[in-house]
Amino acid sequence: MRQIQPRRNYLGAVGWLWAGNYKLERYLYILHRITGLGILLFLLLHLMMTTVFRIQGQDVWETTMSILHNPWFKIGEYLVVIAFVYHALNGLRLILQELGFLMGRPIPPIYPYRDSLRKKRPWTIAMVAVIVILALVFFYDFIIGGQ
Amino acid sequence: MRNTYLRLLQLVTGILIAVLLGIHIVIMHLDAILGFFGVDVNDVTSWGSMIERARQGIWAGLYIALLAVVLYHALNGLRNVILELTPSARTERVVTWAIIAFGIIAFIGGTYVPAALLAG
Repeated sequence: MRQIQPRRNYLGAVGWLWAGNYKLERYLYILHRITGLGILLFLLLHLMMTTVFRIQGQDVWETTMSILHNPWFKIGEYLVVIAFVYHALNGLRLILQELGFLMGRPIPPIYPYRDSLRKKRPWTIAMVAVIVILALVFFYDFIIGGQ
Repeated sequence: MRNTYLRLLQLVTGILIAVLLGIHIVIMHLDAILGFFGVDVNDVTSWGSMIERARQGIWAGLYIALLAVVLYHALNGLRNVILELTPSARTERVVTWAIIAFGIIAFIGGTYVPAALLAG
């Protein structure tokens, strides 16, 4: 007699970075967490810069700023800005969904069933499009502008 | 029940950060686009420009408010990530209090410098 095996869907710690067969929204969740932790790391460095170095006066501040205007730091800053834009817009989508918006009215479960993803998915695509546009706007200003 | 309120505060601070940090990033980085709309921020990272903003109460207040909401949002998020590993109740208490202590120290350190610059 054939024994029924449990589904092999336990990902363990791998699930922090890889979501197997789950759909787009689950990968957005992983990216949400990664960008959140990355911004937290930046926040600690940023707080060091604006407290310990700033209180020491003009010379130390200008030395720090000349180091931070290095192109590699510019690339890092750009990544932080993109992480913030992503985290903010994805977070806004999550807040709206958690409060019950963007997913249509509930319908009785009569065959053929329709899940709410068909209402949510267009908003998700629109959010990704806005993120791409903002990433390009910031890229333009990081190249053209000097700050 | 307590975690429900922490979660609700996470949503509220998230919206506040989207506004306040949006202002901060646009002022700090989008100088070409601000110039297009006729706003001159005048080399924001120079010492003179920084001190000029630090002497104005509205900027100091904005940055301290931003620091408070960002620290709450970031450290509560970090706590959620750590507690997802479902540690024992004792570890959970240690994590919670360590994060609260770190948050208070970071807030005091981050408030002292703008307050000192605002005073002169």
